[in-house]
Amino acid sequence: MVVIAVTGKGGTGKTIVSALLIYLISKNRRVLAVDADPDSNLPDALGITDEIKTLGEIREIFQESKDEMGTINKEQWLEGKIYGEVIYEHDDFDLLVMGRPEGEGCYCYANNLLRGVLRKLMRNYDVVIIDCEAGLEHLSRKTIENADYIVVVTDMSKKGLATAKRIKDLSQELKLNIKEICLVGNKIANEEAARLIREFAEKEGLKLLEILPYDEKIAEIDLKGEPVVALPENSEYVKKVKKIAEILVGGEG
Amino acid sequence: MERKKIEIPEGVKKKESVGEEEDFPFDISPMYEGERIRKGDMFVELGGPKQPGFEIVIALPAEQVEDMKVTLIGSDLDEMEEGKAYPYAMIYYVAGSQIDPDLEPVIERRNHDFQNYIEGYMHLNQRYDIWVRIGKSAMKKGLKSLIQIAKATMLLFKNEMPFIEKIEAVYITDEALVEKLLKEYAMPIYDERDARIESLHDEDVEEFYSCTLCQSFAPTNVCVISPDRPSLCGAITWFDGRAAARVDPEGPNKAIPKGELIDPIGGEYTGVNEFAREESGGEHERIKLHSFFEYPHTSCGCFEVIGFYMPEVDGIGWVHRGYPNPAPNGLTFSTMAGQTGGGKQIVGFLGIGMSYFRSKKFIQADGGWYRVVWMPKELKQRVEKYIPEDIKDKIATEEDAKTIEELKEFLKRVNHPVVTGVVRPVDGKKITEGWVEEKKEAEEKPEAKEAKVEAAQPVTPALPTQPAQPGVMQIPQLPAGGIKLVIKNAKIVIDKIIVKKTDDDKGGK
Repeated sequence: MVVIAVTGKGGTGKTIVSALLIYLISKNRRVLAVDADPDSNLPDALGITDEIKTLGEIREIFQESKDEMGTINKEQWLEGKIYGEVIYEHDDFDLLVMGRPEGEGCYCYANNLLRGVLRKLMRNYDVVIIDCEAGLEHLSRKTIENADYIVVVTDMSKKGLATAKRIKDLSQELKLNIKEICLVGNKIANEEAARLIREFAEKEGLKLLEILPYDEKIAEIDLKGEPVVALPENSEYVKKVKKIAEILVGGEG
Repeated sequence: MERKKIEIPEGVKKKESVGEEEDFPFDISPMYEGERIRKGDMFVELGGPKQPGFEIVIALPAEQVEDMKVTLIGSDLDEMEEGKAYPYAMIYYVAGSQIDPDLEPVIERRNHDFQNYIEGYMHLNQRYDIWVRIGKSAMKKGLKSLIQIAKATMLLFKNEMPFIEKIEAVYITDEALVEKLLKEYAMPIYDERDARIESLHDEDVEEFYSCTLCQSFAPTNVCVISPDRPSLCGAITWFDGRAAARVDPEGPNKAIPKGELIDPIGGEYTGVNEFAREESGGEHERIKLHSFFEYPHTSCGCFEVIGFYMPEVDGIGWVHRGYPNPAPNGLTFSTMAGQTGGGKQIVGFLGIGMSYFRSKKFIQADGGWYRVVWMPKELKQRVEKYIPEDIKDKIATEEDAKTIEELKEFLKRVNHPVVTGVVRPVDGKKITEGWVEEKKEAEEKPEAKEAKVEAAQPVTPALPTQPAQPGVMQIPQLPAGGIKLVIKNAKIVIDKIIVKKTDDDKGGK
C-alpha cells in the first residue's frame, strides 16, 4: 500500500492534481480516495454529484448517541457506519470524505477508534490518495497515521511557495515516516517561473516531480465546477500528471 | 429471561449437517480482517440496509446442544441471484461448564472477528444491524453453501474460546422467519442485556478498567471506569473498557483488579489506589470513586460536566460544556474546567461524564442527588429521568436563580435538604448540619459560615473554607478526644490548613 498526501495552499490546484491522480491510478489499481480538506471539493472534481455522508457526521452521531448505546460494541458500530454509509463506491475507486472538523468536547476516544478502523480499511487498497489541507490536520492528529509521499502543489505565487516550505517543516516536525516530500509546480505559465520553482525545490531539498503548464481548459473546468476527468487524455497536462503517477506508484500493472 | 431454542415451523425449506468439515475452499486468517468487498466484487449481500438480519448467541444446557450441527433454513447460496440482497439470521447455541447468559454478548461479539477471518466474506456491525457481503471470488474458489461458513465460524469459536464445549448453529435466510425471530426471540434478549448495564454495579465485578487516552493533555490523569462510573468524557463504559482490554491488554484501557474494598460508600479500593499511584507517577495516593469531597477522582479536561461546591448554600451545582453563562458561583464552565483539568484532585470541583448522573452511586458519599442544588435547565432536562422524584423540583435552574442570593432564596422556599441538613440515602446518615439561622444577623453574604471539625465524624468533614478558586484542602483524621473548631461570620480565605499532632509525624500532610 502506498499512501500519497497531496497538499498545498488553497487555489494552487491541488484538488485537480489529486483528482487526476485518482482517476489515472485507479484504472489499474485499487484506490481509496480521501477528501481531507473541508474547503475543497474533491467529489465535484471527480464528477460525483451524489450526496455523501462524511466521517465527521458519523463522529458527531457517535458523540451524541454514545450514552444510549448500551452494551453495543462502539468500534464495531463505527466500523459499520464507515464501511456501510461513509465509503462511497465509485466504479473505479472508493471515496472517503472526512468532512467537518471536531466540535466541542472530547474526541480522544472517538478518534482512537477511528484510527483503528481506518488502519484496517486502508489495507484493502494498493494506493491511498489524500487531498489534504495545508495544515495536514488528519496526519497531525494521527487519524490517518502515515503517508509515504507528501506531494506539495504550488503555483507561481510567493505565498504558494511559502506554504510549501511550511508544509515541509511541519511534516518533518510531525515525525511522519515519509519516504519523500515532493513538489509539483502548477499553472506555470513561463520559463522564468519554472526556473524559480526548480531553484526552490533544490534549495529546500524537495523532489520536483513535474512542472504543470497553465491550461485554458482547466481554468474553464475550474470556473464551471466540472469534473477534471473530462480533460482530454492526450493533453499535455494530463500526460504530465500521468508521469507523476508513474513516479509515485510505478508504471502499468 | 429463559433461554430456549427457536421453534422451526413445519414445512420450511431446511438443510442439516453435523460434524467438522474436512476442508474449506477459502483461507481462514486474521489477515482478512477489515477486508472490504466492494459492490462490484460482491456475489450477494446478506442483511444490511435492505434486508432484515440479526446475530445472537444463546447459552443452553449441554444436553440441548448438538455439537457442530448446522441447520440452514431458507435458500442457500446456490439458489441466490448474483447482486441481490437476502435476509440473514445467525443463531448460535453454546454450552460449557463456565458458560452462562452473562457470557453471551462476549461470545457473540467474536462472531464479527471470526467471520472476517474468512477470505471473501465481509461482516459488518452487530446484533440487528449485521451486514454481510460474500465476494464473487469466494464463489469462484468453490464456496457453495452457508453451511461451510457456519462450520468455519464454529471451528474458530471452539479454537479461540476453549471454554465453549459445544456449539450448534442455525442460519436463516427465510424472510418471514428472520423477521419474526428478530422481533420475538432476539430483541427481548438484547433489551435484557442493555437493562443489565443499569443493574450491574461495582460490587458485581472483579475488575475495573483504566483509560489513559487523555494523558497527552493531563499526564497525571487516571480515569477509572467502573460499572457505576463511566469515563469523564462519557464515551467509555465499563463494557467498552472490558472489550478494549481484551483486545489489547497493554493498550490505553487496562484492567485494574479492584483489590480490597476500603470504603464502600466513597468507593475506595486498594487496587484502584495502587493503580492510581503507579499511573500518576506517585501524584495521587488515593481515589474514591463516588466522593465529591474526599480524594475525588481526577479531572482530565475532557469531562462533559463539572460540579462545583457552593459553601454559601452547602450544596453542589453542575454545569455542562454547552452552557455559556456563569453559574451562580460567578464562574463559567470553561473557567472552572481550566482550573480543574490537567489530572489534579481538586476538592470542591469534580469533572464527570454525563452518564454518571445515571449511576446509582452518583456522589453517594456526599448525599447524591440530595446535595445537588443547581444545574442549567438544558442539563436538568437531559438527565431528568435519573433524578429522584422528591428532589426534582427542588433543584434550581438558571430560570430560578442566577446568583448565590437568588439560589438561597429558592432553596429556602422549596425547603431543599441542604437547608435543614442532608441525609445521605446510602446509609441514612445525616451528613450536613443545614444552614445556621444566626446568619440572619449578617445581611452581607458571609465568606465562610459556621463549620465544625469533629473527631467523631472524620469521614465527612464540613468544609470550612470557600474554594472560590480551586485549592487543596485536606483534613486528616484527628486523634480521639479531638478538637472543636468553630468559625462564625468570619471573612477568611484559607489556602491550606495543616493540623499536626506533635508527637506523631504521620498525622498531617
